[in-house]
Amino acid sequence: MVAKPKVAIAWLGSCGGCDEAVVDLNEALLDVTNAVDVIFWPVALDFKYHHLEKMTDGDIVLSIINGHVRNSEQEEVAKLLRKKSKLVLSFGSCACFGGTPGMANFRTKEDIFNWVYRDAPTVVNPQGNYPQVKTKVDGKELTLPAFYEQVYALNQIIDVDYYLPGCPPPPDLIANAVNAVLQGKLPPKGSTLAPHKALCDSCKRNKTKPQKIAIKELKRIHEIEASPDICFLAQGVLCLGLATRDGCGAVCIETNIPCRGCFGPVEGVKDAGAKTIAALASMLDVHSDDEMEKAVNSIDDLAGYLYRFSLPVSTLKKRRV
Amino acid sequence: MSDFEPKLVCFSCRFGWGYLADQHALSAQIKNWIPIICSGKVDAIQVLDAFKHGADGVLILGCPAGECHYQDGNEESKKRVLLLQKLLDACGIEPARVRMEMSLDPEGKKIPGLVKNMTETIRKLGPVKMS
Repeated sequence: MVAKPKVAIAWLGSCGGCDEAVVDLNEALLDVTNAVDVIFWPVALDFKYHHLEKMTDGDIVLSIINGHVRNSEQEEVAKLLRKKSKLVLSFGSCACFGGTPGMANFRTKEDIFNWVYRDAPTVVNPQGNYPQVKTKVDGKELTLPAFYEQVYALNQIIDVDYYLPGCPPPPDLIANAVNAVLQGKLPPKGSTLAPHKALCDSCKRNKTKPQKIAIKELKRIHEIEASPDICFLAQGVLCLGLATRDGCGAVCIETNIPCRGCFGPVEGVKDAGAKTIAALASMLDVHSDDEMEKAVNSIDDLAGYLYRFSLPVSTLKKRRV
Repeated sequence: MSDFEPKLVCFSCRFGWGYLADQHALSAQIKNWIPIICSGKVDAIQVLDAFKHGADGVLILGCPAGECHYQDGNEESKKRVLLLQKLLDACGIEPARVRMEMSLDPEGKKIPGLVKNMTETIRKLGPVKMS
């Protein structure tokens, strides 16, 4: 009997949603497991890191890695899987761009630790204990992974072969990606396994988008009673579908929530936030200096809005101190 | 910090700034001077790229409001600068490192002075921290 190709599924800094998305393949998952041997999947199966270490380099056909990298354990697992795998698929927005945890780069490690272990109202820490990489307890040494200064996307740590963004990636694109590997019908290395155009291109509301969008003041989705059929931009709500890669199935839009950009920038664009600025500026129907400043200042947390999923891979990457 | 010499990039619209000047003489006075067709051509990405490649400040010179050769490129650029300043601020880069001036100066006499003024502002801020 010919051995089935080996596949690993790993989570690094992840919420578990990406693993859930794999489970959401439902019955199709049975076909996948018939075709491959899942040799590592910490969320679902009991395998240990030392099982991986004993494998021959390149023995795993495909490693599907989700989550960002922010500590030494995540980096170690990423590098181990890279060594043991022929192909690495960066899976989900956190692995591809840093994801929402990437917004932690707007704060320093010191700020984060002070808030979490000292200043947050719910913290009780009279001895002022902070996590240490090594601690002696009853004569024994306990260890924790080192917490890094910033969040990294997967390709800032290891070489990545393919990208599948999404928070989480939708089942149809996951199935396409796995089938492409199994059938050997892969695009050039470095490709994103999703459409190249912007979400507006396939959005049902696109036909209600006016020729010229003129917004005096941007509204947030909870501030208006949004129509379920009309283009969000025409309603004065900032929707990032105009600069975000298509492929998600417009699931947020279907539930009357504007696009927040989880699929990352369209093909060829590296900095999602900076690129969106040009589109946003042209939609703001303000002319005098006062009007411009008022409109720009009325946007809460613009940087967080535009880099909700992609700060670590942007040009600016993080906050400087 | 006393030996810090700020690097400034100056984009200026050819329709409003320095088109009557001797281009060679003027460019000898202004380092990294980039005359362009309409200030609206300057994208936020290009400003960020300038910082990435070593600029400490970016000055954009556009035409006065209502006088753009292409309708409103200068106003588009102004809005982009205001939006970009928000992103820079959130990432700990002083907004004053990007500045837009909207005026008319066919002989380009004001450009060296504007560059000098901004250079002095940047000198006080120190080098940009990009890495």
